[in-house]
Amino acid sequence: MADRLEGIRVLKLTKRFGSYAAVDGVTFTVRKNEFFSLLGPSGCGKTTTLRCIAGLEQPTFGEVYVGGRLVSSVEKGVMVPPERRGIGMVFQNYAVWPHMTVEQNIVYPLKIARASKARIRSTLSNIVDLLKLSGLEKRYPAELSGGQQQRVALGRALAMDPEVMLLDEPLSNLDAKLREQMRFELKDLQRKTGIAILYVTHDQVEAMAMSDRVAVMNSGMIVQEGTPYEIYKSPADKFVADFIGTMNFLPCEVLEWRDGLATLRLRNGSVVRINSPEVGRGTYSFAVRPEDLLLNREEGVECQVDVAVFLGNVVDYRVRLGDDVLRVQTSADNRFEPGEGARLAVQRGVLFP
Amino acid sequence: MNSVVRGSFDARYAITAAIGLFFAVVIIYPLSLVIAKSFSSDSGLSLAHYARVFSDAANLKALWNSVWVSVLSTIMCVAAGALLAMLVVRTDIPAKSFLRLLLLLPYGIPPFIGAIAWAQLFGPAGYVTKLYMSATGAGSAPWNVYSPSGVVLVLSIYQLPVVFITVSGALGRIDTSLEEAARMSGASPFRTLLDVTLPLVTPAIAAGGLLAFVGSICNFGIPALLGFRARFFVLTTKIYSALSIPDMPVAAAMSVILALVSGVALILQRRLERKQHRYAVISGKSVRPQTMRLGPARVPLFVVVIAAALFAGVVPIASMILTSFIKYWGAPLTFKSMTLDHYKYVLRIPIAARAFRNSLFLGVCTATITMTAGAFVSYMCIRAKFAAARVLDFLGTIPYAVPHTMIAIAMILAWSRPPVVLYGTIWVLLAAYLVTYMPFSIRTTNATLQQVHISLEEAARMSGARWSDTVRDIVLPLIKPGLVSGWVLVFMPAFRELTMSVLLWSQGAETLGVAIYNMQDAGYSQIAAALSTVVLLIIFAGNALVRRLSRGEIGF
Repeated sequence: MADRLEGIRVLKLTKRFGSYAAVDGVTFTVRKNEFFSLLGPSGCGKTTTLRCIAGLEQPTFGEVYVGGRLVSSVEKGVMVPPERRGIGMVFQNYAVWPHMTVEQNIVYPLKIARASKARIRSTLSNIVDLLKLSGLEKRYPAELSGGQQQRVALGRALAMDPEVMLLDEPLSNLDAKLREQMRFELKDLQRKTGIAILYVTHDQVEAMAMSDRVAVMNSGMIVQEGTPYEIYKSPADKFVADFIGTMNFLPCEVLEWRDGLATLRLRNGSVVRINSPEVGRGTYSFAVRPEDLLLNREEGVECQVDVAVFLGNVVDYRVRLGDDVLRVQTSADNRFEPGEGARLAVQRGVLFP
Repeated sequence: MNSVVRGSFDARYAITAAIGLFFAVVIIYPLSLVIAKSFSSDSGLSLAHYARVFSDAANLKALWNSVWVSVLSTIMCVAAGALLAMLVVRTDIPAKSFLRLLLLLPYGIPPFIGAIAWAQLFGPAGYVTKLYMSATGAGSAPWNVYSPSGVVLVLSIYQLPVVFITVSGALGRIDTSLEEAARMSGASPFRTLLDVTLPLVTPAIAAGGLLAFVGSICNFGIPALLGFRARFFVLTTKIYSALSIPDMPVAAAMSVILALVSGVALILQRRLERKQHRYAVISGKSVRPQTMRLGPARVPLFVVVIAAALFAGVVPIASMILTSFIKYWGAPLTFKSMTLDHYKYVLRIPIAARAFRNSLFLGVCTATITMTAGAFVSYMCIRAKFAAARVLDFLGTIPYAVPHTMIAIAMILAWSRPPVVLYGTIWVLLAAYLVTYMPFSIRTTNATLQQVHISLEEAARMSGARWSDTVRDIVLPLIKPGLVSGWVLVFMPAFRELTMSVLLWSQGAETLGVAIYNMQDAGYSQIAAALSTVVLLIIFAGNALVRRLSRGEIGF
């Protein structure tokens, strides 16, 4: 079973609290060197999945492999305690020990592992350099900013010299600017160290920005797995389409499908043609992203501009199409005023039953 | 700010000034008299009285006794309290909430009633003593409850809930991810306990210990009821003796020394509490505390804990009830020996009725006056942000650090000379109770008011309500439940107060505490037990009421 390229493998993982299944048969693999995100709304089971991998939660069913080693299997009666899984973990609220200095926090895993003094010293200086914490070694967490505490938590996880690291919404307590900066730093860190990272977040922008692959979770199950591009461009279902990015949903009727081209009629009667995999006739929900709609004066469906919000690089419009209101983002070169009539060209979109 | 509250400017001034005057006369003036008395002599300022305290071997002995008795009982209840808190909060021991309830039970028993119960159990003719003698055939038991060790043991039992509450509260507030982080760093559960959990609750353990220390060193009832017979004196009981000589200056000097010791302990305790606060959970995320598996030790430990809890709380109450029904002390424990005579007697004798009336009157007046004053002080301080009210808040909380014996001396010094002579009447007791429970009321009203967001009041002002309308229509209805439970929480300890009452009572102004104490002292154990049982019943009913009002957040 062991795979040298494997960081984490989760097989049919299930965790029930009473009759409620927080995690319901989840299967995925995080490869070595991979930045993998579990993305989903709060309560979707992503954190419980993470805690089962860490060993902080006992699964009801399923298996967990870390670095090819079986660490948890209900069927085989295996449950390696968290301290013997060798996983680095960064908690949402950092969990930096308030009674220990920065240095004591970071070297704690080494102390536990009875590493030599020399090794502790060199590891500490490497981590302090890598995370730009030098000069803060003797400080207590209460004297640090949120971002610095975050780095200490990261440093402590790195001190384990782990093959696998679990990050539980580590950026959610930081302010917007710092969050953006840490995003780059985390990605950079992962590239430098080659550690397999499993990242849990509800922030789709965060997941998109950092991950090699993303698994979208909803009510305890993985609904789609793929690269950020795949998930954004071809959402597997309506939930993913809605959860990732901004999406307009228009009720429509498919009139016919021929040669990869679907003809559909919107509620106001106008007819649109789009590229689509084969679909039958009937009513559908037509999902189209704001940037896949082109507001212009020449071609497309007739519509009326309700609101225009200037955002700098683009203009964000609310556009009325009969009874439906759509969000459209178009470059600022060609501007429309509220109340103005315009035409809307559909460049691409997806049909959901 | 003045322009905002213009219409009510005068009212706020008047109320603040009135309460300020009240505090100055009732709290500050008497307490400063004690300090003045202890430092004064015919020729002005002097340390002569302190010199007398320290040169008298008996006084020195009492001081030393106070220290070692309190230290020892503190060590015992810290060890037991912390361990029990760990077991109940952080392990998979069964019936947690039931155990918690049992362990907090001694908190509801007035210490002097507890002392009487322990004497009933372990005294020379006590239930346990006789059981032991009949079981072993020995002529006497190898223990004596009327002894220093009896004082230490009973003190530690009555301070145990304080430590238990402090430590279990801190354990519950620790962010569990701190412990999980240690596990993820490779530490075993036991190592995590040593390296993370224990250091994080150390301030709470120390703070709880200091509170227990102050409670022990300031306690009068237990060393009085268990120590006098063995001629074993501590500071509080020595002050009582000095007052009956009477040697006022020495009593004052000793009470100042006691206040100093407990004051320093309380300052330390406050600092530790602040430190502990920094270790508390910051994120709003709900945390399920990780519980340690006890494995095969689970059931044996449960048996030990429940036995300890029963021993500390239930057994004394049972003994008290049993004694109140038994025909005569020493009667065989059969159904035939049971009688209701003692209750009938309690209903008949005038002193019991008088004590009941007096305690009821004192409890109601104390709770009403201190809660009203507290509500105004808190409002001026927290809401009106009135600078002068901060001074009131400070003045009103000073008595928190003052031992009850010192407050009693202050009352004698302040109110036994013209122009105002209250000493010898029930009013001096009311004055003493007001001083004692003022800090408690202010803290309760502060906490209650802080829970009402200021925007609710601002919304009323924006709707056109004047300050007085806002208080009547918005503030009062919102803080009413808090005020009511605060009222009961002041009423209950006032209702069964002993230390000050025993020093200040006079014929006709007996309280329940005094009546029970005197009956027990005179050898009427069953009558004392019957009266104690009634008092316990009222206390537990009051507690049930508070718990209901606060939805289980206040009370024991």
